[in-house]
Amino acid sequence: MRILVILKELLFRNLAVIIFYTLSFNVFEGLKVFPDLFIFSFNLQMIIVYFYVLKYPDYLGLGHIFLAGIINDVVVGIPLGTSSLSYLVLAFFTSYIKNVTIRSRMTSEWITFFPALFFSNLVYFIIINNFSDLSFYYIELLRSTFFTFLFFPFFYILFKNYQKVISQGKE
Amino acid sequence: MADRRDDFIIALRYALLKKGTKQKFSLFFLFVLSILILSLDRLSIPFIKTTRAVLNDFVYEVAVIASAPIKFVSYLSYTGRTHFNVVKKNNNFKEEIEMLKNERNNILFLKTENKSLKEALDLSDTISKEQGTAIVAKVILDQESPYLKSLLINKGRKNGVAKGMTVFSKNYLIGTVVESNYLTARVLLVTDLNSKIPVLIQESSVNAILTGAGKSTDLMLEYLPEEFVLEPNKIIYTSGRDGFLVAGLQVAETYLNKDNKIIIKPLADPQQASIIYVTNGQLN
Repeated sequence: MRILVILKELLFRNLAVIIFYTLSFNVFEGLKVFPDLFIFSFNLQMIIVYFYVLKYPDYLGLGHIFLAGIINDVVVGIPLGTSSLSYLVLAFFTSYIKNVTIRSRMTSEWITFFPALFFSNLVYFIIINNFSDLSFYYIELLRSTFFTFLFFPFFYILFKNYQKVISQGKE
Repeated sequence: MADRRDDFIIALRYALLKKGTKQKFSLFFLFVLSILILSLDRLSIPFIKTTRAVLNDFVYEVAVIASAPIKFVSYLSYTGRTHFNVVKKNNNFKEEIEMLKNERNNILFLKTENKSLKEALDLSDTISKEQGTAIVAKVILDQESPYLKSLLINKGRKNGVAKGMTVFSKNYLIGTVVESNYLTARVLLVTDLNSKIPVLIQESSVNAILTGAGKSTDLMLEYLPEEFVLEPNKIIYTSGRDGFLVAGLQVAETYLNKDNKIIIKPLADPQQASIIYVTNGQLN
């Protein structure tokens, strides 16, 4: 019984990391029976990286970001290291924003998410174009980036409340 | 001015090199590691290829297990919707059954006629049966990312699947094997932007290149002669000009959509493919 409680706590505290790895395995491809939903497809991993590096860096290690990126590359079938580098660029940009920001507000963080996304996707774009023979679906990438940016406040509030619950549990 | 530049450099250096209290690696170290992996992946060293194949096999197997709950939810939802539509459709089916009974008689006649015609043309129903190269495989994952439209299958080098082999679904060309691991393989679908197939259009001697259009089902024809007008209901065959695929494989068909525009759709539906045949490119 005690093991179950420990396991539950462990899962609850590391939920962000678990979700991050789960997304790397592209588990939601099974939802293609709902084609209408795919219009709103967005990159939750980018939101998680940005939010946790900015707000709670102790809950999502850079090593996890790197490894999840490698897994994502294997599953999607793009050159190894592409997603990792893209996520790390996002983490770097976020870390820089964190260092130069004195007062943090959701709106300002939402706005700075845009250049962070831009640079991250730019790295993706450059690697795919120069390190592989793959062609690109620009429109899909643009749409996904747009919805990633658009849905950020929703996940910001969600993750913030979740972290609040965790810290209350700790106390 | 100099102070501001110093602040900028300090913030950048801090972001790159500083490790958090619970961080084991710095961003700089992981950047270097990612670039190293990217460079090694680009090199065609046998050791790297083997490592990548083992990694692929492992990750694919985990991905199949990890995506099982979501697939199950999708399956439940699909089954539920189907169940509620059953009563509504039942009456329609009864009428259809009567109609189909009549059609079946016609089909039986056509089947017999078809068989005799095939015998006359020296064609067979099975895929490359004589050569023994048709490998039946199951689709374990289908990836539709913005970068690749591909399928992962449960047969690899162990079963004789090699890079470059041709893949069929219901006797129609669906794609080619682009990556073969020990237990699994990746099939690049004809609907992918990176798929380039030299083709011929029915009732014309026009050669073109068939490629994916970035949508899940539509295809495009490239390098068509300027004066050529594409007509609806024409079958598109492989021309075999690449020396890779044999000539005469049925790949796609032209349709007229609601807006009176000609669209090209693959004859095999990649989204519905669950059992596929991996061959050496022969379809007798």
